[in-house]
Amino acid sequence: MNPILKIAVLPAMILALSSGAHAAGNHAGGHHGGNVIGEPGNAGNVSRTVEVTMHDNYYEPESIHVQPGETIRFKVKNEGALVHEFNIGTADMHEAHQEEMQMMVEHGVLKGDHIDHDMMNMDMGNGHSMKHDDPNSVLMEPGDSREIIWKFTKATDLEFACNVPGHYQAGMYGDIKIDSTVAAKDRVEGESDSESVQ
Amino acid sequence: MNKGFLIAILAGLMPLQVLAGEYDISVDRVQIDTGDFVKEGIGYNGASPGPVLRFKEGEKVTINVTNNLDEMTSIHWHGLILPFEQDGVPGISFPGIKPGETFTYKFPIVQNGTYWFHSHSGFQEPNGAYGAIVIEPEGREPFRYDREYVVQLTDKHPHSGDRIMRNLKMSADYYNRQQQTVGDFFSESAEKGFMATLMDRMMWGDMRMMKADIEDVQGFTGLMNGKGPEQNWTGLFKPGERVRLRFINSSAMTYFDIRIPGLEMTVVQADGNNVQPVNVDEFRIGVAETYDVIVHIKDEEAYTIFAESMGRSGYARGTLAPEEGMTAEVPELREAPLLTMADMAGHMDHGDMKHDDMNGDNMAGMDHSDMGGNDEMDHSAMGHGSMDHGDDASLPEDPFYAKGSGLVPTASNGGKFLSYSDLKAQKPLYEDREPTREIELRLTGNMERYEWSINGIKYEDADPIVLQYGERVRFKFVNETMMTHPMHLHGMWSILEVGEGKWNPLKHVISVAPATTVYMETEVDAPGEWAFHCHLSYHAASGMFRKIVVEGGPDSTVAEGKQSGKQGGES
Ligand SMILES: [Cu+2]
Ligand SMILES: [Cu+2]
Repeated sequence: MNPILKIAVLPAMILALSSGAHAAGNHAGGHHGGNVIGEPGNAGNVSRTVEVTMHDNYYEPESIHVQPGETIRFKVKNEGALVHEFNIGTADMHEAHQEEMQMMVEHGVLKGDHIDHDMMNMDMGNGHSMKHDDPNSVLMEPGDSREIIWKFTKATDLEFACNVPGHYQAGMYGDIKIDSTVAAKDRVEGESDSESVQ
Repeated sequence: MNKGFLIAILAGLMPLQVLAGEYDISVDRVQIDTGDFVKEGIGYNGASPGPVLRFKEGEKVTINVTNNLDEMTSIHWHGLILPFEQDGVPGISFPGIKPGETFTYKFPIVQNGTYWFHSHSGFQEPNGAYGAIVIEPEGREPFRYDREYVVQLTDKHPHSGDRIMRNLKMSADYYNRQQQTVGDFFSESAEKGFMATLMDRMMWGDMRMMKADIEDVQGFTGLMNGKGPEQNWTGLFKPGERVRLRFINSSAMTYFDIRIPGLEMTVVQADGNNVQPVNVDEFRIGVAETYDVIVHIKDEEAYTIFAESMGRSGYARGTLAPEEGMTAEVPELREAPLLTMADMAGHMDHGDMKHDDMNGDNMAGMDHSDMGGNDEMDHSAMGHGSMDHGDDASLPEDPFYAKGSGLVPTASNGGKFLSYSDLKAQKPLYEDREPTREIELRLTGNMERYEWSINGIKYEDADPIVLQYGERVRFKFVNETMMTHPMHLHGMWSILEVGEGKWNPLKHVISVAPATTVYMETEVDAPGEWAFHCHLSYHAASGMFRKIVVEGGPDSTVAEGKQSGKQGGES
């Protein structure tokens, strides 16, 4: 834990949170340009759907193969009893985002099994809030189902991860293997959700 | 009913693929080499610590324990939920195991996680009779890690348990080497003023307690998996791996503050039960507690596992390294904390002081029950408001320590130190419900005679605590002493009140700091007779111990227990 965070003042936190993945993005050179982690995809380009189930505290599946340029619809369901996140990024981005989520916990926005929505959506001035609404992530209460359509670009080390404090470290992450060398033949569109780890 | 018929019935009832494991343990005289000294002791299968027993949830275990000593012995399966005749407490669960005899324990494994086992006879446990238990869950672990290690700690003393007990009885501060000096007095006077310091000293003198007396028994060598600091137990890893460390404190008397400089630890389990993960830089492990942590090691470097005793009189040390022989810097011991007036507040009010008019009955006006939750005691209500304590803003706070306590731990790197209030169950085992009643247990002691007790009464003079099967009892611990007591209930879970309702964590040891009130609840779901005691060896032996009798319960459970525990049963 970074001790400096402890003394972070509230306005700083709001700024950090409202910029969400942007703040994290600078570790990886920014992602909205679409060059590192990919970009939000169009429903029309979706090549297949990957279902991801969130449990306390792990994902099923724990590994996904995609091809460069592929647009995937992630159907994410939280079947656990705790709040979880599904976030696409690099390990460095996740680490930076965990610091923000830690502040959400310290300020009472994020509880173990629910989110204080009023507090999260509160306008803190200057148009900032503690909203968690970046396109590469969804933060979900138990029972929630959500979708993300994401277009992957070039090969890089990506993970999907839950950055609720402690969850990532305990093992709530999965590998996204962007694999341009694999022939498309072993890809079954719309069905092959995951592949067993060899 | 003949035996064959009974077996036929049992066979018919059991699913075909019951996991069953048979294990043999011998109890032996062994040599313990700490690097500082070599000592005769007691171990299992020829070594101390004994083996790591690996069970699988759902397994039915048969454990043959052969006593090769010339005295009685026993094994208690610390934290395991099992029929009471299998619990291994002589005089309560069974008579014990005679020299030369083999006792066969049989019980189903109904839980998973990190636990341990130890002798419950005399001072065999401080003399070395302990080992670890790792139970793999039926389903998958809710974690990901690449490898795991048991890290079992103890405080090995050059004196035998019997000798330590005798010396403590002779003089409670026999092993307290950190008594304050005249020099300390004058430097403290310069800071706090002469009168305040004098008053402070007079009060402490009056109680014949040394202010630095956080550890009754100093002068030990801390061992990690049986190795002293110089012998340096080492766990190997490959860079990039996540490693699960299963910490077990098997000390007789010593709390440890554990850190791994350079690595953040994620606490995922406490006392065998998964908790919602907490990232920490350091944590305190009470005697008999277990904590599992996961560390993610990215660099090809060695890291020191440093376990510093709460009173800073000793440490255990080991290393995580990419290859054998690599070491990292071993930190210096930090300065010993000092108890403050806040830590002795409970003692002041109720203890064995010269306040003749202040016996228990006169204190009845002080209603503890409205103090609520897990919180610290309200000192202003305690009738000694004139004593200045607890308002020092420089002192860290934790609701599980008295306000202004000198014992509140802080992380050496200024980061996060685990508190009991961070512990939340990962998956609640019981429905949350109102307790059916509350039982107050005052933790009491007389330092002068080195007598420890509950509600002022020591074990041999006390009636058992009688519980009814099916009730949910709220235990209220009020620590009226200046020592921290790790209270251990056998056979049933201790649900620690941290103010989180159904997410309150399940433990088997509840550590109660000086001058605090801590609550735990227990679902009384295990018939039979059980032990309930402070897990500091010399406190338990000198009276801080109770028998619990659970009345009622399904007959079938009792019958099954009787059948498998034919050598035991009476109390
Ligand atoms: Cu024990
Ligand atoms: Cu005690």
